[in-house]
Amino acid sequence: MSRRSIQRTVARIAAAGVVLGALAACGGDSSDTAAPGTGGGDESGTAEDVTLTWWHNATSGPMPEVWAQVAADFEANNPGVTVVQTGYQNEELQRTLIPNALASGDSPDLFQVWPGGEIRDQVANDYLMQLDDMIPDTIASVGATVNPWQVDGATYGIPFTFGIEGFWYNTDLFAEAGIESPPTTLTELNEAVDKLKAIDATPIAVGAGDKWPAAHWWYQFALHSCSPDTLTTAAAEFDFTDPCWIEAGTELEEFIASEPFQEGFLGTPAQTGAGSSAGLIANGQAAMELMGHWNAGVIGGLTPDEQVPPFLGWFPFPAIEGSAGDPNAALGGGDGFGCAKDAPTECADLLAYIMSEEVQSQFAASGSGIPTVTAAQSSLEDPNLKAVADGLSQASFVQLWLDTEYGTTVGNAMNEGIVNLVAGNGTPEDIITRMQDAAATL
Amino acid sequence: MTVSTTPAADVRRETPPPEKRRLNLGRPFIYLIALGVAALAIGPVVYVFIGGFRTTADLNANPAGLPDPWVLDNWIAVLTAQRFWGNVLASIFLAVCTTAGVVVAGLMAAYVIARYTFRGRQGLYTLFAAGLMFPLTVAALPLTLMLRTLGLHGTYWGVIIPGIAFALPTTIIILTPFLRAIPEEMEEAAVIDGASRMQFFWRILLPLSKPGLITVGILAFVASWNGYLLPLLVISTGTLPQEWWPLPLGLTQFSTQYSQNTGAVLAYTSLAMIPALVFFLAAEKRIVSGLSGAVKG
Amino acid sequence: MASLTAPGPAETAGPGVLRPPRVRHRNGRTRTWVEVVVFVAPALILFIGFVIVPVVLAAVYSFFNLPAAFSWDMLNAERFVGLDNYTRAFSTPEFRRAITNTFFILFASLLVQGPLAIAIALLLNRRLRGRGVLRLLIFVPYVLAEVIAGLTWKLLLQPNGGVNALLEGLGLGFLQRNWLADPDIALYTIFLILTWKYVGFAILLMLAGLQGVPKELGEAAEIDGASWWQTQRYVTLPLLAPTIRIWAFLSIIGSLQVFDMVWVTVAPTVRQMSTETMATYMVQQGQFAGQPGYGSAIAVILFLISLVIALGYQRLALRRDLAGAVTRGVR
Repeated sequence: MSRRSIQRTVARIAAAGVVLGALAACGGDSSDTAAPGTGGGDESGTAEDVTLTWWHNATSGPMPEVWAQVAADFEANNPGVTVVQTGYQNEELQRTLIPNALASGDSPDLFQVWPGGEIRDQVANDYLMQLDDMIPDTIASVGATVNPWQVDGATYGIPFTFGIEGFWYNTDLFAEAGIESPPTTLTELNEAVDKLKAIDATPIAVGAGDKWPAAHWWYQFALHSCSPDTLTTAAAEFDFTDPCWIEAGTELEEFIASEPFQEGFLGTPAQTGAGSSAGLIANGQAAMELMGHWNAGVIGGLTPDEQVPPFLGWFPFPAIEGSAGDPNAALGGGDGFGCAKDAPTECADLLAYIMSEEVQSQFAASGSGIPTVTAAQSSLEDPNLKAVADGLSQASFVQLWLDTEYGTTVGNAMNEGIVNLVAGNGTPEDIITRMQDAAATL
Repeated sequence: MTVSTTPAADVRRETPPPEKRRLNLGRPFIYLIALGVAALAIGPVVYVFIGGFRTTADLNANPAGLPDPWVLDNWIAVLTAQRFWGNVLASIFLAVCTTAGVVVAGLMAAYVIARYTFRGRQGLYTLFAAGLMFPLTVAALPLTLMLRTLGLHGTYWGVIIPGIAFALPTTIIILTPFLRAIPEEMEEAAVIDGASRMQFFWRILLPLSKPGLITVGILAFVASWNGYLLPLLVISTGTLPQEWWPLPLGLTQFSTQYSQNTGAVLAYTSLAMIPALVFFLAAEKRIVSGLSGAVKG
Repeated sequence: MASLTAPGPAETAGPGVLRPPRVRHRNGRTRTWVEVVVFVAPALILFIGFVIVPVVLAAVYSFFNLPAAFSWDMLNAERFVGLDNYTRAFSTPEFRRAITNTFFILFASLLVQGPLAIAIALLLNRRLRGRGVLRLLIFVPYVLAEVIAGLTWKLLLQPNGGVNALLEGLGLGFLQRNWLADPDIALYTIFLILTWKYVGFAILLMLAGLQGVPKELGEAAEIDGASWWQTQRYVTLPLLAPTIRIWAFLSIIGSLQVFDMVWVTVAPTVRQMSTETMATYMVQQGQFAGQPGYGSAIAVILFLISLVIALGYQRLALRRDLAGAVTRGVR
């Protein structure tokens, strides 16, 4: 499903998200009635026919079908409403399609809304519909996970999935290599890499060809090198003077020097085809991949029988000993939808329906991600997603993907710097310099 | 360099006069070279076509082999997919509209530049000639920004209109000498017969300049059909669903989306090649002479 | 559209008979102007509106620091950054590499594709069986969309793709490479693909040019005892010079614009590392990294380089016979 779903999450939200799910019971009920129920139908009985365009980022795996079904069900329950849903490649949707559509005033009604710099810009430009008065119960149902989609306390989007990044690994290969339990520290990770090399397995697959999977490695090193305070300050003020930022790059450089990645990783795509990093996990060639919670679905789509392989396991990014970083910090994000400012009110109804416990349970059952409505989390069948959900609940600090957190300009400069570093062509200092230079142009 | 090297002339001269055969030991060698060049040129294309008959498992197991077994599934899958036909139709629509626009607007301007005397005529010609130095790539970025303000972003017209504009310089520069070459006496004769200038244009000039029109039409068609950058910036970032994207764009999208199904990607690629191959190979001589003619002026 | 013999609507044939056509419009100076305006207007409006104006706009935008979604009112003093975007471009290693790469493609095309095409054309410039078919086959790569050609080669050049398998099969396994993913060789791979795509057109252009070289000259030289090579070198090649110049011009203009091929064949990381061209860098920064001001500055730089080269070339090589060149042609 989504590849770089995003989420801006404050430290306390992570655990709270699950706890606050207590609200989900009533939330679920109300959204059930609000969306496909009689209310919408009655209204549109007299109203003119409405067409809702809906853009999402589901292009492979089970999600395109789930969304198509949601659209069809919503249409069936709301006579006169037509839902035109289209899935686009995530990067294109986020970086290009939606910004351009919004700028041109020709935007879809319901679409993916990313937290961080993007939602702030979109709200500043008055592109988004404020949802608080429209579907308050739905908002309540997802608890604190909605916070990243709020600007100045008002809600402009609702996450339907929420997850963190960690290692997807091949339990068979780990057993074969004699790795007893998933690494919890960087030292243990290095040991695991050595053991996997000893059995001629590729220790770690990385889709560095796509830039962002490479960048995520640095994010994780930064997250586990820098204290939560440093991270929060950096997000607010673009202050990267703390030495931990350089340390992160140095640690990553050392790690890459141990050659943990597959051959030719600079040209490997993350998710397309058998030769992609997800494909290498799917066909058992590589043992680990650092990737978001959506990866089980991607891997499943790349196996010959299109099933999530039974050997798949998950563990969180290990701690870096002796650093200021919080060992239980997690990097993650979620996917949310929002409505365009001038969208018909039915858009909010559709959103409420998408967030209903019924659809959220379908989402959970599809194995594509972790639903935000807690009541639906029991429908998680995939043990891997359950593991991610557990990891999320144990995280003491959750950081939004750094490139989203810092916005396009700084985020892009950062990723370019990281790519150079990963390719052995840059320095840890260069990444910081680029970020500071980019921030100075804002 | 002169009017005599305009396309029609080049084509006529194609068949060389009988050449005195001299004994040439290198002759088999020449054929070998020719064969090698031809094989290199079409080898990849043939590979893609044949690959379309292979299963993905077969392709992964033996990337350079022949199909084993031969399957038609990939072709059927692509040919029954709505998105393929949508892509084809979109490409046809874009190419036909662009070509029509280029030919009409270009011919009108070239006619005036070629056969009217008025102040600024030379300046006008120079302006269009200078347009050859404004390649689409250079203007693509600000163009898309501008299309947004015009509300053309994400629409076919956002591709067609700039497509016409950027094909105009070539068109006018190829057509002007063509139109100028039609003898003045012919026009006078027509006038004596009582024809107005417009009638002369429609009745005489147009039929006579047909070869030139076909050449510029083909060039415009090629550019539009094969165009990627403009659709990438204008269409892929707009609201049109993928099923209605033009072929090059639809193909890249298809190959990312169905990357694990290599056989289908190869079949899609092959099918995307066919129209261009058939159409443009038929016009090979015109394209070559047209492009060189454009430079010679 | 009245018949040719019917009298013109408002025009009497009388005066025209005695005068040359252009003067004929004595009564209708304004009429002529109306015709000129009406006929030129569509082309002129389109050309100015969609070719000139965007280039001018690029120059304007390039002096501002603009977000991805911007409006006209953002072109204000607060966002005016002077030449910052330009100085930034030239101090950015990625852009400097993009310039180097673009010029590598440009010079490599001239130095490799040109001689190659001339050599093959000279060899094939004789009566051969199947010559027509050969011409068509050679032309195939050129007529394919660059995107299609690029995707074809991308599939062929996968680590486990057709090319490596073929090398293995030929016993040349040691030559196997990760062609498009290895930053050390990706640019050369791209150049080879571009050569595959465009050398056929060059060959056909040269063949067409050779058609214009009178056979008698070569025969005369041979009678005088010149070898085949001497004949080509001293008789044929000089006469082929105009064709070579035209090809070179098309190739240069095309090389400066390489975009599609790099964009679709190379992974973004490898592109940034080793195959970025000016055009891909411009689109990446201006469109996908959301910096239209900076991207516009790149567009202006690209435009100025093209302009200088085109004007210089026009002056030096083509002189009067260049009316310009096709904007989207060969590389």
